[in-house]
Amino acid sequence: MSEDREPTVIVKTVTRTVVPLIALTAIALLIKGHNLPGGGFIAGVLTTTAFALLYVIYGLDTVRRDLVTNAGGVGLLSGPTQSYTRAFAGGLALAFGSGVAAMLFDVPFLTQAVVFVDGIPLYGELEFASALAFDLGVYFVVVGSLLTIIAVVGKE
Amino acid sequence: MAELVLALALGTLFAIGTFLVLRRDIVRVVWGVAIISQAANLFLVTMGFGLTGDPAADAPVLTAGEGAMYADPLVQALVLTAIVIGFGTTAFALVLSYRVYEENGTIDLVDLASSPFEGPAARAGEARADGGEPTADDGRSEVADRPAADDAADGGDH
Amino acid sequence: MTSTVVIAPLLVALGTAILALLTRRVPRLQRALSVAGAGAYVVGVAVLVRAVRLDPDGRLVYRVSNWDGPFGIVLIADPLSTLMLALAAVVSLVAAVYSVRFVGREGQRLSYHALYHLMVVGVTGALLTGDVFNLFVWFEVMLMSSYVLVAFASDSDATRAALQYAVLNLLGSAVMLLAIGGLYATTGTLNMADMARRLADPTAFGIDPAPVLGLSALLLVVFLLKAGVMPFQFWVPDAYRAAPAPVTAVLAGVVKKVGVYAVVRLYFTVFAAAPLTVSLPGISGGPELGFLAFFGPVLFLMATASAILGGLGAIDQPDMEGLLAYSSIAQIGFIMLPLAVAATAAAPAVRTVGIAAALVYSVNHGLAKSLLFLAVGAAEDAIGSTRLSDLGGLTEVAPVLSGAFLIGALSLVGIPPLTGFFAKLLVFDTAVRAGAPLALAVALAGAILTIAYVTRAWNNAFWGSPGSRVHAAATAARTGRDDGPAVADGGHADAADDAHGTAGDDLATVASIADPVLVGCTLSLAVLLVALGIGFDPLYAAATDAAAAALDTEAYVRAVDPAIAGDAIADGGGTGGDQDVAEQLRALRGDGR
Repeated sequence: MSEDREPTVIVKTVTRTVVPLIALTAIALLIKGHNLPGGGFIAGVLTTTAFALLYVIYGLDTVRRDLVTNAGGVGLLSGPTQSYTRAFAGGLALAFGSGVAAMLFDVPFLTQAVVFVDGIPLYGELEFASALAFDLGVYFVVVGSLLTIIAVVGKE
Repeated sequence: MAELVLALALGTLFAIGTFLVLRRDIVRVVWGVAIISQAANLFLVTMGFGLTGDPAADAPVLTAGEGAMYADPLVQALVLTAIVIGFGTTAFALVLSYRVYEENGTIDLVDLASSPFEGPAARAGEARADGGEPTADDGRSEVADRPAADDAADGGDH
Repeated sequence: MTSTVVIAPLLVALGTAILALLTRRVPRLQRALSVAGAGAYVVGVAVLVRAVRLDPDGRLVYRVSNWDGPFGIVLIADPLSTLMLALAAVVSLVAAVYSVRFVGREGQRLSYHALYHLMVVGVTGALLTGDVFNLFVWFEVMLMSSYVLVAFASDSDATRAALQYAVLNLLGSAVMLLAIGGLYATTGTLNMADMARRLADPTAFGIDPAPVLGLSALLLVVFLLKAGVMPFQFWVPDAYRAAPAPVTAVLAGVVKKVGVYAVVRLYFTVFAAAPLTVSLPGISGGPELGFLAFFGPVLFLMATASAILGGLGAIDQPDMEGLLAYSSIAQIGFIMLPLAVAATAAAPAVRTVGIAAALVYSVNHGLAKSLLFLAVGAAEDAIGSTRLSDLGGLTEVAPVLSGAFLIGALSLVGIPPLTGFFAKLLVFDTAVRAGAPLALAVALAGAILTIAYVTRAWNNAFWGSPGSRVHAAATAARTGRDDGPAVADGGHADAADDAHGTAGDDLATVASIADPVLVGCTLSLAVLLVALGIGFDPLYAAATDAAAAALDTEAYVRAVDPAIAGDAIADGGGTGGDQDVAEQLRALRGDGR
C-alpha cells in the first residue's frame, strides 16, 4: 500500500463504523443459514469484504500487525497467510468432521439433526441445528482461502 | 414477456462473454469466461421457472400470482453451488493470469503462443546453471498463489 | 439398504487431503499420511469391489445425508464404477509413492499432497455419484485441483499450460451447467436413475424427450474435452508436459478415464433409454436412427481423428513427454472406437463386447500410460531432460527402468502376454463382430502408428550410445556426486540393479542412474500389466460385468427404485415434479415446527 495518498478521515471513520456492522451481518447470516437465506459461504464472503475494506483503508501492514497474530514461517507461508491457511484447513476439517460425526449415530454421511429449546426468556424458542457446524466449517474455508488470496496478491 | 426478457438477457450475456473470450488479452478472456459462467447460472435459474403462465408452476418473482407459494428451490440450490464454484475458479483464473504475466512478461495471447515451449531440458538447465547443488530442485520450488485452488474443496462441500 | 462401504473411498480420500493440509508443518508426517491415505484408499476400494461382487444385484446405493431418492444425492457403486475406481486406486497409490520422491521438498511443503488427494476425491465422487449435478460438482473438484497441479512448477511453461487448461475447462463447465439446466427443465429430475426412468416412458411423465438429443450433445462435448478426444485435444500436450510426472500419470491414467466413464454411464445407461428417433436429412434418408445410433457416427469420426492424428503427432514430437501426450490422444481414440461401434450396433451382444473392449482398453491405457509417464519422469529426474536428442543409451545406465518402460510400451502396442494385447484384440473383435470394416481399418492404422512412435521412442531414448547428458549423469552418479536435479541423496548404487548391468563399458559399472524408489514404482505397474495380461480372465470378467451393468438401465433404476417408486411423482406432469418438491418442503417445515 503506497503511503503517498493517505485515506481521508471520513473514510477511516466510516470504515470503523461499517466493519463491525458487516461482521455482525455475517454472523447473523451464518447462524440462520441452515434453513433461511444465508449460510457459511455468504457469511464468509461478507467477513472477507470487511477485511478487504480494512486492507484498502488502513493498509496491509496495520491489519497484519493488529488483527492477525504473526506466526513464524518461511517465505510465502509466513505471517498472516499462515493463519489463513490454517483457518482453511481447520474449516475443511470441521465440515468433514460434522459429516462423519453423523455416521457415528449410524445414519449416513452428512445427515443433520435439529433441536428446539423452548421457553427461553425474552427470546422464546431457540433452534440448534447440527448444520451449523458444517456451515461454520464452510465459513472458515471461505474466509481462509479468500484472505489468503487477498494477502498474497496484495503483497505482490 | 418474461421469456423474451430472459432470452434476450441470456443471449446478450453469452454474446458479450464469447466476444471477450476471443480477445487477445488474458484478463479479458478470464472476464469472458466469468460472464459465460454467470450466463449459465442465469440459464439455470430460468430452467426452474415453468414459464407456462400458470401461477402454480411459475415462480412468484415472475408472476406474483395468488397461488404461487414457492419457486422451485432446487435450481436455486444448484445455482448457489454453481456460483460458489464459479467464484473459486474465477479467482484462481485471475491469480493464474497474474502469474502468467509475471513469468512471461506479457498478457497478450499471441505473444504467449509465439514464445516456444521450453521443456524440462531448459528448466533443468537453468536450475543447474544457478546452483548445481544436489538439492536444487529444478524450479519446482517457487510455487505461489495457490489458495484459489483450495476453493475446490469448498465447492465440493456444498 | 444403505451401505457405508460405498462412501468409504470418498471419505478416505477426503480425510487424507484434510490431514495432509493440517500437517503441512511436519513434512515427514505429511508424506507418511499421504502414502498411508493412498494405501487406505486402495483398501477402501478393494472392500467396495468385494461388496459389490457379493451383492446379489451387483449394485450398492448410499443415500447421502439420509435424503431419499430423486431429491437427495445418491451414490451408486456398480461393476462399472468399481472397475474404474480400482484403476484409479492403483494408479493413485503408485503415483503418490512416486510423488514423495519426485516432487521437490518445497513443493511438498506447500499443498502438493492435499491437492493430489483432492483430485482423487473428485475422481472418486464423479465415479460414484448417481446425480447429474453432483457429477458436475465432482468434476469441478477434480479439475480445480488439477489446474493447480498443472501450474505447480509455476514457471512460464506451466503457467501458460495451466491457463489454457483452466480456461478451456471453465468454458466446458459452463457448457455442462447449461446442459444440466436443460436436462432438468426437460425431464424434471437430476437423478440419473430417475431420469432414465422418465426418459424410458416419456408420455407417462408428460415430458418431451426431443431436447435431450441436443442437450446430450452439449454434455458429450464436455466429457470429450475431459477425455481429450480429437477436436477437443489441444490442451493435452502442453498440460501433460507442464505437470509434474506423477500428476501427469494420474491425469492421463485416471482423470481422462473419468470422461470415458461419464460417456458410458450417461449415454449407454441413461440417455439410451429414451425412445428417440432421429433422421438426418441428406445423410440418412432411410430408416430413422435411435438415440445411440445417432451418436455412433459422431463418436466414430472423433475416434478416427484421435487415433490417426494423435499417432501422427506422436511420431513428430521432439521430446518424450510430448510423444506420450500425443500418444494419449491416439489411445483415447482406441477407447472411443469400440464405444462408437457399440453405439451403432443393434445387437446387444456387440454392444456388451464394445463397452467391455473400451473398458479393458481404458484399464490397459491407464496402467501403461501412467507407467510410461512415470518412467520418463524418473529419467528426467536423473538426466534433466526428456528431449529425444539428449537421451539415448538409457538401457545401459538404467536397465530396470528401461525394462519397465519396454513393458509399458509393448502393452501399448499390444504384444501377447501383456494386457494391451487383449485390449487391442477386443477392439478388433468388436469391429469384426459388428461387421464394420471401416472401424477395423482405423484400428489397424492406429496400431501401426502406435508401433511407429513407440519404436521411435525406444530407439532414440533407450538404445544407441548414451547422449552427452546421459553420460554426464552417469559419471556423476558413479563418482557419487549427485547431479540429478530433484534427488536429494547420492546413494544410487542399487544392489538389485547391479545384476542387470552389462560389463564392458565403463558406464556399466554404474548400476542405475535412476532413483530406486521411482524405478520401483514404475516396475510395480509393469508387473501389474504382465500379471493382468497372463491372468486376463478376472479383468475380462470384470469388464464384461461392467459392460452388462452399463447397459442394464432397468437394474440401475431398480437399485435406486425403492425411494423413487413409492412417491407421488408418478402422477405428476413435467413440472408437477417441482410441485412435489414444494409439497415435501412444506411438509418438512410443518414437521420441524
